Amino acid sequence: MAKKERPRPEKLSVYLYIPNIVGYMRVLLNCVAFAVCFSNKTLFSLLYFFSFCCDAVDGWCARRFNQVSTFGAVLDMVTDRVSTACLLVILSQVYRPSLVFLSLLALDIASHWLQMYSTFLAGKSSHKDVKDSTSWLFRLYYGNRIFMCYCCVSCEVLYIILLLIAKNQTENLLNVVVATLTQISPLSFLLALTLFGWSMKQTINIIQMKTAADVCVLYDIEKQQKP
Amino acid sequence: MANKAKQRPATLSVYLYIPNIVGYMRVILNCIAFAVCFSNKTLFSLLYFFSFCCDAVDGWCARKFNQVSTFGAVLDMVTDRVSTACLLVILSQIYRPSLAFLSLLALDIASHWLQMYSTFLSGKTSHKDVKDSTSWLFRLYYGNRMFMGYCCVSCEVLYIILLLIAKNQTENLIKVVVESLMQCSPLSLLLALSIFGWSIKQIINVIQMKTAADVCVLYDIEKQHKA
Repeated sequence: MAKKERPRPEKLSVYLYIPNIVGYMRVLLNCVAFAVCFSNKTLFSLLYFFSFCCDAVDGWCARRFNQVSTFGAVLDMVTDRVSTACLLVILSQVYRPSLVFLSLLALDIASHWLQMYSTFLAGKSSHKDVKDSTSWLFRLYYGNRIFMCYCCVSCEVLYIILLLIAKNQTENLLNVVVATLTQISPLSFLLALTLFGWSMKQTINIIQMKTAADVCVLYDIEKQQKP
Repeated sequence: MANKAKQRPATLSVYLYIPNIVGYMRVILNCIAFAVCFSNKTLFSLLYFFSFCCDAVDGWCARKFNQVSTFGAVLDMVTDRVSTACLLVILSQIYRPSLAFLSLLALDIASHWLQMYSTFLSGKTSHKDVKDSTSWLFRLYYGNRMFMGYCCVSCEVLYIILLLIAKNQTENLIKVVVESLMQCSPLSLLLALSIFGWSIKQIINVIQMKTAADVCVLYDIEKQHKA
């Protein structure tokens, strides 16, 4: 009981770590962004993208100020998942068929959930430290931080672009994408670039589900073989 | 390498466990349900609810046939999260303000994600095994499996009811709920019952986020003390 007195001030100080304050700012930015997303798409996009940039800032802060914390990592992860999910919900309202973005939401949740679970079971420090996989795409993605970053950023940029180029209340997804690509403008180029990165990321998500499922299965098998 | 050959049939057999086959059926049921949800709400509700009932079946199967597996538990969890998320997306398209269901989606993802993370960190076998908490509501919820069951089922039933009673393309949430409650019909009673259970569950979700965040923070502090 005497020990309990000491940890309590420390607990508050972790919540007040600089990178975690940045994390709270990200959450606030996202709340404000989604509060205005139906009335002001441009403001939403700016706030959302700024929050996405802060994602890199809080990681940098954590290392710079030696304030890396598990809570900070979890806060980061949860903010990413929730903000992407909400953006996909908005897009499913705007674009037909709705099932497209519903499926992307399902894939996002399922793949990240499975991957996190398997990371814990396999005892790795981060799901980004994957060394043992036979897939060349997997090795390329995880072996090259810049490529990984390009794919992740592409997804967010693609979703924001799709939100911004929608003119009506409901749009046909294929029509809009093809029309924009055939314009042959800087926007077309950006769209094509992000589509490519996005497709890589979704492919990785699918492969990750299989890999993670295997880790879950092997975990049980090894547990049985050990005693 | 010889070990790998021995493991491979074992891996396959876990994927073919009876409860996991039930799990795959749940996934397929949900896929079909959401494929028809815009055209046939009644069929969707039947498929969705049937899949939800299978959730109890695969747990029973796992214990009956001694085929409990980590993969099965994860498959179960992911199916729950994704199906609830997709249902909330549908509801956010129908009911105004959209932000209501967007927020519920955010709360669902965030609270379950944090709770799972903290379960792993504190080494408990299941997030349903929570013994140390000062909140009476928490203790009531986790101490009484029937109450927990009632709250969880209430959420799903409430969402399905809301989907079924919506007559137009877009509805005002408060208006629809108040009108249905004032009808004083069996539906009103069911709606009231499920709203109560749903509200308890959401409060638990919010408390769980704080508790889980504390676990993350304490985990780091204890790691530092040990080192």
